[in-house]
Amino acid sequence: MKELINLTKLFINDSLGLSLFFYNRTNNKKEFSKQLFTLIIVPIALIPAFFFYVFFMIALYTGLKVIDQTSVFLSAGYIFISFLIIVFGIMYILSVFYFSKNTEELISLPITPRKIIISKFASILIFEYAFAALLFVPVLIIYGVGEGMGLGYAILALVVLLTLPLLPLSLETALIMLIMRSSRVKGRKDFLQIIFVFLAIALVIGVQFWFGTQVSSSAEVDFQILLNSLLTNNESLLNSIGYFFPSSFLVAWGLNRLTLMSVVWIFSLVLITTLSFGFMVFIGERFYFTSLVSGKIARKGRTLSGIERGKFLGKKGHGAMAIFSMDMRLLLRTPVYFFNNVSVVIIVPLVLLVSLSFAELSPENINGVREFYREMPMVINFMFIGFFVFFGGTSATTATTFSREGKASWLTRIVPVSASDQIIGRTASALIVQSLGILCTLIGVYFFMPLTLTTVLLTVIMGLIGSLPILLFGLFIDMNRPLLDWDNPQKAVKNNMNVMITLFIGMFYVVMLIAICGALGYFVNQWVSYAVYIIVSLIITIAFYKKINKDLEKRLLAF
Amino acid sequence: MLKLQQVSKTYGNKNIKAVDNISFEVNPGEIFGFVGPNGAGKTTTIKMMVSLLKPDTGKIFINGIDNQENILEAKKQFSYVPDNPELFEKIKGLEYLKFMADVYEVPTTERQKLIEKYLDIFEIKEAVNDPIGSYSHGMKQKLALVGALIHNPEVFILDEPMVGLDPKASFELKKIMREHCDQGKSVFFSTHVLDVAEKICDRIAIINKGKIIEVGTMDEIRAKAGSHESLENIFLELTE
Repeated sequence: MKELINLTKLFINDSLGLSLFFYNRTNNKKEFSKQLFTLIIVPIALIPAFFFYVFFMIALYTGLKVIDQTSVFLSAGYIFISFLIIVFGIMYILSVFYFSKNTEELISLPITPRKIIISKFASILIFEYAFAALLFVPVLIIYGVGEGMGLGYAILALVVLLTLPLLPLSLETALIMLIMRSSRVKGRKDFLQIIFVFLAIALVIGVQFWFGTQVSSSAEVDFQILLNSLLTNNESLLNSIGYFFPSSFLVAWGLNRLTLMSVVWIFSLVLITTLSFGFMVFIGERFYFTSLVSGKIARKGRTLSGIERGKFLGKKGHGAMAIFSMDMRLLLRTPVYFFNNVSVVIIVPLVLLVSLSFAELSPENINGVREFYREMPMVINFMFIGFFVFFGGTSATTATTFSREGKASWLTRIVPVSASDQIIGRTASALIVQSLGILCTLIGVYFFMPLTLTTVLLTVIMGLIGSLPILLFGLFIDMNRPLLDWDNPQKAVKNNMNVMITLFIGMFYVVMLIAICGALGYFVNQWVSYAVYIIVSLIITIAFYKKINKDLEKRLLAF
Repeated sequence: MLKLQQVSKTYGNKNIKAVDNISFEVNPGEIFGFVGPNGAGKTTTIKMMVSLLKPDTGKIFINGIDNQENILEAKKQFSYVPDNPELFEKIKGLEYLKFMADVYEVPTTERQKLIEKYLDIFEIKEAVNDPIGSYSHGMKQKLALVGALIHNPEVFILDEPMVGLDPKASFELKKIMREHCDQGKSVFFSTHVLDVAEKICDRIAIINKGKIIEVGTMDEIRAKAGSHESLENIFLELTE
């Protein structure tokens, strides 16, 4: 047991970088204050979202109480939180069990595979418990207070909370381990990881659409009535979802009304959870380590002839092009980077396309939009420009450009590539990613509203120009505070505050710019607004370019 | 060819200097060995030479160019292979070599000739179309060496180059180092293998606790130590 606790502590320490954090407290105050700032600001930023969630849950319960349907409250909360645990768990499990390199270091030590698997799982579980408690405790309290439940409920509710993340995560981990050990997967793990994440997103989008269609079909009704209709009119649907989470029935039977049978139901839940955990450990012992060792055998390329090598090496290339090619290859071939930096430009237009298809717009509505576009093209143009700039800000390609290189960044730091070539190469890869988003959007929109050539040209050019200040700001931030010390590429983007800083400041900037230019266009002239937009964007771009160009070479000495 | 003038470096808040006011010079056509115990300041010194760290004080000149003032020009003068070359794992060997050839502006006519030559010497021709992630430590080291050699640098800087190399590759590397110096260029390398340093280096510097405690040819070091013993014995006496 002591070994298990020590190993779990080790994994948590490794994933959070606690030792380095405490080392910096005494030895590197500057780095320590940066880490401390992140540690404080992130929870503070989440407080409003938490209160909104609690308010939503109270409203839901009150609505259900009015129509005497509170029996679905607990199971709905349980299903919702289990769903979130599963969705977020995919990347977390892949990250801890497959991206992290610490397992390789432990394999040779006299520690049983079972202990490593359990400890790794426990290191995930601790954070998931915090997450589940934050979301499920309000649900339990709201129901308990509302129904006037006593101590028995509190004890059983605590037991349910203890099983909540454990059950779905055990089964999900076992499933991932089974898929990752498949012989067909060998050498294609990167590809498979991308598929996993896309599946998770499809799941989220699917649920959102279901929710969206319910909302749109009950338009213009009170919020509480809407929630009630959502649940009561869809009792069968809730039941169907319940079949995917059968444990939600046990939770409902166990906690809705306290009887002697409640203990039996909750005990059954504990038993199923324990069996699931045991199943995960069993699968892990059988397949995890073998798949990990065989996974090291990366997919090999065929042997090239001298002529083929010569052809590939080709002519002398430009420094900016070399940086660009390297950056693009890393973006496209590293699953975590692909998912975080590239997939958004495919997914968002896809969501737009599907939501427009689901919206069931009447011919009158479509004609109304087209008429509006003919009358006020500037509004639609700025909407598209804003949307295109959004890709520049959210893809965070430049905001993590140095961070993504991690410990291999020594290479791009010692090579004699000028600052201007570094800027061009790294910004170009971000622009390519953004252009992909623009292209996907334009194709999607084409089916609903044919755009004029002027709109297409104007929005594409202004979308790209308008995002340049954000891209260069991202580069500036990452140049000044790169996150290079990671053992798992996930940290380079997920634990990187540069992404959030660029996103918030970038989005604030673009909203302000479009608002001001839009007002100018409305009150003065649309062409004046476009001109002002372009001039402001170019001035900021040039200012950032000059600043980065001046400082980059020296900054590379001090990473 | 490579000159360090009163270079110092301190890490974090600690007042202990990792490198403490060191000065030495590497002449053209010279293999210069840099030896010292663990934590003596070897890697820190090398990182300052290759522009991965900024010295707190002092100057470093590579081929006469100040590497803090004219950074880009200084970078063109050297090649560097770290002790544990972390390379981009998702990139193929050949893509890495093309990147290096491009950034060092190796002419089209020369790049293939040089790459083929060094791939043959280090016997990794078969692996260049594979992702670097599939390479062993030694293969990564060999690829980093090929990448560093393809632009025929004025100064070749290596941190513990023999670690991870098989005996044949190690032998070939020593030969390449000598041939490189025969062209009037320089090689600077750190090592813990004192036999190698003694055999192939024209001059040696010994660093301990951030300070250079001895620098010169083997004969000069022996004369100063007043003994005819091996470098290993002198090193042990000096660093105790």
